[in-house]
Amino acid sequence: MKNGRFFVGLVGVAVVVAYLMATGIRDSMVYYLTPVELLERVEADPTFRNLGVKVSGRVVEGSWERGRGNRSAHAFRVADLEHDDVTLSVRYEDVLPDTFNDQAEVVLEGSLGLDGTFRAHTVLTKCGSRYEAAKEELAT
Amino acid sequence: MTILGEIALWIALPAALWGAVLSFAGGRTGRSDFVLSGERTAYVLTLLLTLTSLGIIAAFLGNRYEYWYVANYSNRELGTYFKIAGLWAGQRGSLVFWTLLLSVFTSIAVFQNRRRNREFMPFVTGTLLALLSFLLLVLLFAGVNPFELVGFTPANGRGLNPQLQNYWMTIHPPTLYLGFTAFAVPFAFAVAALLTNRLDSRWIAVTRRWILLSWFFLTNGIIFGMRWAYEELGWGGYWFWDPVENASLLPWLTATAFLHSIQIQENRGMLKVWNMVLVVITFLLTIFATFLTRSGLIESVHSFAENLKIAYIFLGFMGGLIAVCAVLILHRLPSLRSENHIQSFLSRESAFLFNNLLLVGITFAVMWGTLFPLITEGFFGQKINVGPPFYNRVNVPVGLILLLLMGIGPVIAWRRASRRNLRKNFTLPAAAGLSMLVALAVSGIRHATVLATFSIAVFVMTIVVREFWKGTKTRARIAGEGNLSALRSLVRRNRHRWGGYIVHVGVVVIFTGFAGSAFDTNAVRELVPGQSATIRSAFGHEYRLVYESLSHSRPRTDDAVRENDWRWTALLTVYRGDERVKIMRPERRFYPVMDEASTEVGIRSTLLEDLYVIPRDVDLESGTERVTFEFKVLPLVPWIWCGGMIVAVGTLIGLWPVGGPRARAPASRVASGLPLSGTAGQAA
Repeated sequence: MKNGRFFVGLVGVAVVVAYLMATGIRDSMVYYLTPVELLERVEADPTFRNLGVKVSGRVVEGSWERGRGNRSAHAFRVADLEHDDVTLSVRYEDVLPDTFNDQAEVVLEGSLGLDGTFRAHTVLTKCGSRYEAAKEELAT
Repeated sequence: MTILGEIALWIALPAALWGAVLSFAGGRTGRSDFVLSGERTAYVLTLLLTLTSLGIIAAFLGNRYEYWYVANYSNRELGTYFKIAGLWAGQRGSLVFWTLLLSVFTSIAVFQNRRRNREFMPFVTGTLLALLSFLLLVLLFAGVNPFELVGFTPANGRGLNPQLQNYWMTIHPPTLYLGFTAFAVPFAFAVAALLTNRLDSRWIAVTRRWILLSWFFLTNGIIFGMRWAYEELGWGGYWFWDPVENASLLPWLTATAFLHSIQIQENRGMLKVWNMVLVVITFLLTIFATFLTRSGLIESVHSFAENLKIAYIFLGFMGGLIAVCAVLILHRLPSLRSENHIQSFLSRESAFLFNNLLLVGITFAVMWGTLFPLITEGFFGQKINVGPPFYNRVNVPVGLILLLLMGIGPVIAWRRASRRNLRKNFTLPAAAGLSMLVALAVSGIRHATVLATFSIAVFVMTIVVREFWKGTKTRARIAGEGNLSALRSLVRRNRHRWGGYIVHVGVVVIFTGFAGSAFDTNAVRELVPGQSATIRSAFGHEYRLVYESLSHSRPRTDDAVRENDWRWTALLTVYRGDERVKIMRPERRFYPVMDEASTEVGIRSTLLEDLYVIPRDVDLESGTERVTFEFKVLPLVPWIWCGGMIVAVGTLIGLWPVGGPRARAPASRVASGLPLSGTAGQAA
């Protein structure tokens, strides 16, 4: 009985926390891919399209356009950070974060449509190296 | 001045190494001249690092863009205030600042103990100086020298991120750093206790104030960070479960666990190994929080791969520390044996133990979530992220149990709670909590988290208020004092206990503030001047906001018009019902040089809620001055800041120097935070 109760408590807490973590992971996990990886995945397995993913990349300079008559409809292209020639065209219909510009490093959340366009429901900008401690900008 | 700072940095390294060696040698051989010499090194280091820091600040103020660090974090347009804050704006400066704070705390610890705890001191000083030596080595040789030159002199610097140009942002990092570095002192005492094999609770008693001090700064640092996110990031939230936020939370969680578990060691002689492990883990997490998250090892929207080398150096350092501490603890295992064990689930020890297990459980979950992309990449070659739902899933239920324990722990009896003890202490609070539950349910609230939070909050508040009430009454009767002066002397006689209760009140208030987010309302409207929008609050009333006009300005600074800062200010009149309650001026700022924008939100705070206005987008092309606004009514957010202040006051009460003859009372009496109190102690 010396350490028995301590042990029971420990195991109890561990089991509960582990259970909560497992369900939490199951419900909120998201693949974090580069454009290259995303395209490879979709080619290998077309159903991968349906999955919501996060994609990181850099906005291609000069590719950002706003919709006519609808200021919060945006279209731009995002290039792979390591392979400039691989790009995704992105559509996003909401207000972009403040730090968004047409060279920004971004993290998109959404899915790849059948037409090859990535429909983002969230755009986060990553801050450049001069802003080491800069925090996230959120637009959902 | 800057050159002087650089020279000081170079002298600091051999000085720190020398001092560390002398201290350990002095402790080993018992030569007090060595020990004294080591201690004096601490003062010298503080002086040298102060010079170094002043040197960096001087470089900022003098616009010395030939220095890489200054060129990257400042420009001519930056205000003086932010130039001084440039010391901790980037990784290199932060590292210097961290080292400076550590040396200051080392000096304070040395001075404070110049006549006391002499058997510990050589090893305490040695440990702290060894840490300082390591930091100085990194600063000088790992490619993060703050005095590195660009090679030419740029005409202007790259400037500071506009989002960092905020009052809260200038005090948030230093406050956190103060908390991180202050924890090095308890850690050093723990190492000294292990080395000298004096493993009773004395090392805890003498470092208790340091632990509280560190906790005070950590708590405030985290709350300042939330405040900054709330005011500056402009999305109406204060916590995003971003890796960098998580990293600052981790040591806070384990430090909180430690603050509670040491009370079991002091009162019951148990959990000695656990406490050693907690102090080591907390210290490691402060290092983790300072360096790893900023270095690009973990994918965060905050970070980017700037200096992975630093991450590996610190990882190695942490690994080394773990190894050394593990060996020490294992070596001393026989002296760390428990003097007692838990007799019943229904006891204060058990409540505290659960509190500890849950806090460590949360720490583990938050850490797991933060490192999940790294873990999955390591094992499956594929980064997988988890988002806020993961953290909420774990932390909301566990947080609620912790809240409940905050009520139970302080009044349940040690050893074994009798039925009588339970009945006496918990009948009324449980009834109060249940009444709250019924009242809320009747009024139509079905949100489980909200119901639980408010009921538990009432339960805890009833317990705390009753403790204060009973204590004051008893004291007033015995000492024949008035109620107010009885309360004052009650608190003064045991600051740790009553200060702790006040902290609990603050935490309850903060939790209710969190729960308020269940009732957030929002609306997005595109308006042109003259148009208005309405938004309903969860409390039933309605706000009407009239968009009056848009104005354009370029603020003047000392020297010139800032070409790089254009501001569009919307003017809104806010009505609540028919009453005009506020004029708001939210702003969109554009920084053409960086091709970026930033938002100044409008906030109207009342006791119960915030009205939060975000100008999301300004249409400058069509000439209509059309602005896309997002309006939010956020219930109970002010309670979070208010609760934070209560926590700060409670911690300060616990920290306040104990004056007079009591200060020299035996450590065990002065230091025990929750001594066997009249109401709960004898019930076994």
